[in-house]
Amino acid sequence: MQKFWNDPVTWGHAGLYLLGAIAVLAVVIVFVTYAIYFERKVIGWMQYRRGPNRTGPLGLLQTVADVAKLLMKEDTIPAKADKALFILAPVLAFVPSFLVLAIIPYGLNLQFADLNVGFLYYVALSGITTIAIVLGGWSSNNKYALLGGMRSAAQMISYEVPLVMSVVGIAMMTESLNLREIVIYQEGWFWHWNFLPQIVGFAVFVVAAISELNRTPFDLPEAESELVAGYHVEYSGFRFAFFMLTEYIYVYAIACLATILFLGGWNAPAPQLDFIPGLVWFALKFACIVFFLFWIRATLPRLRIDQLMGLAWKVLLPLAILNIFLTAVGIEWWGKGGG
Amino acid sequence: MFNNVNIEFTGEFFAFFLLAVCAIVGAVLAINFAKVVHMAVSLAFTFVSLAGLYVLLQAEFVAFVQVLLYVGAVTILMIFGIMMTKHQSEGSETGRPLLETLAAIGCLCLFGILFYAIRSASFPVPTGELPADNTMAIGKLLYSSYAIPFELVSVLLTVAFIGAVALAKREPEGGNGEGAEPAAENKPAPLSGEEGKTP
Repeated sequence: MQKFWNDPVTWGHAGLYLLGAIAVLAVVIVFVTYAIYFERKVIGWMQYRRGPNRTGPLGLLQTVADVAKLLMKEDTIPAKADKALFILAPVLAFVPSFLVLAIIPYGLNLQFADLNVGFLYYVALSGITTIAIVLGGWSSNNKYALLGGMRSAAQMISYEVPLVMSVVGIAMMTESLNLREIVIYQEGWFWHWNFLPQIVGFAVFVVAAISELNRTPFDLPEAESELVAGYHVEYSGFRFAFFMLTEYIYVYAIACLATILFLGGWNAPAPQLDFIPGLVWFALKFACIVFFLFWIRATLPRLRIDQLMGLAWKVLLPLAILNIFLTAVGIEWWGKGGG
Repeated sequence: MFNNVNIEFTGEFFAFFLLAVCAIVGAVLAINFAKVVHMAVSLAFTFVSLAGLYVLLQAEFVAFVQVLLYVGAVTILMIFGIMMTKHQSEGSETGRPLLETLAAIGCLCLFGILFYAIRSASFPVPTGELPADNTMAIGKLLYSSYAIPFELVSVLLTVAFIGAVALAKREPEGGNGEGAEPAAENKPAPLSGEEGKTP
């Protein structure tokens, strides 16, 4: 990163950055389009339905049509809403979600910013989205939206704690928070990946991550059956689309993070399989996690709000702390890798 | 394209300029806004810009902890608190000319002092290279040379935390102890089978 700061800024550099950003945006938008399609298909199959199958071949253009509809919809702002914040909230939600993608290493040399506090960067920026959700809920001047915003703030702050704590074990084993070094540390056979030595941490991470994503069974901020649609009741058209886009970009980011932190990133499961490029392995693991998230959504019922808070503070946090303790003991007794 | 000006237009210069302007704008807006929620948001804007300045100084750890704590936690708590309270009678404060004049004079004096102090201060160039992985260096220092202050701060925070809980849980005198607690009832959520989330 340092080398770019000291160079004089030319149109070439600026253009290079712009191109990089546009490329990531394109990848992400294609991902989001087909993640939504895939999610509806998977849930449909699990519920013995067909899912979307009319628009385009096999329904592949369904999401495109949906998004086109959203973009052409009338843009409504409630008369008594706080206009400035109502407009600002979707932007404030989207920008950090896109920024967190900068640090994700897809391969050994395929990364935008090699930051030595990679994981912390993700957690810090995702906190800004929480503000946006609360603001969106508050500025709508609607009690359901406000309730949704409040719940969201409480939930996301509570689950950030176990999410961070569950990764401390990995940081202890790797002696780094740098995502690239964490992946390099997991080289070798698949039992060198962090998910086996850090099985408790992995479990805590997955639960906390689903909750951070506000997805079922933790989708209380937008519980349809109680709160109509939660914090985005009043949003429609492209502002609503931005909230949705944010949500799915976080799915992308969390799936990437889980791949990197616990499933060995771009490493092949066995050294003999190294001839297959790392990007393929990364994509495979990534797809598995995304499928897992959809599977969970189709399977589990929603938690109650009091159970939700209890789960974060009384179950996940002690487990995460226990994991840190066990990791420390393991490193002390058996050295690295055995912990 | 920028060669005819004296300043070197590196990426660092642009980033510093942008972040500094953002920090100042956020701070000024925080004072000028009439609504408290708007103030909190512009304050968050300032915090983020400051974090950006820390990144420019190669203090990534401090920068992201700043975002995590000040933007992620403090600002949300402020907004949370503001939402719980009434906000109808805002922005109707009458002007007090004498007080405002005095405040303006005080501000100018403070600016003068700060300006003089900064201009006359000498900034020694740090000797020796910064460690490459400064996050690790911070961690090592915290747990070796500064272990005792670090532990003391954590004890202090725990005390403050328990104190806050104790204050919030204080029972009203002479009342029925059980009934004072608000009934935190939540109806069990019905199963969500529908496909409501997808647009």
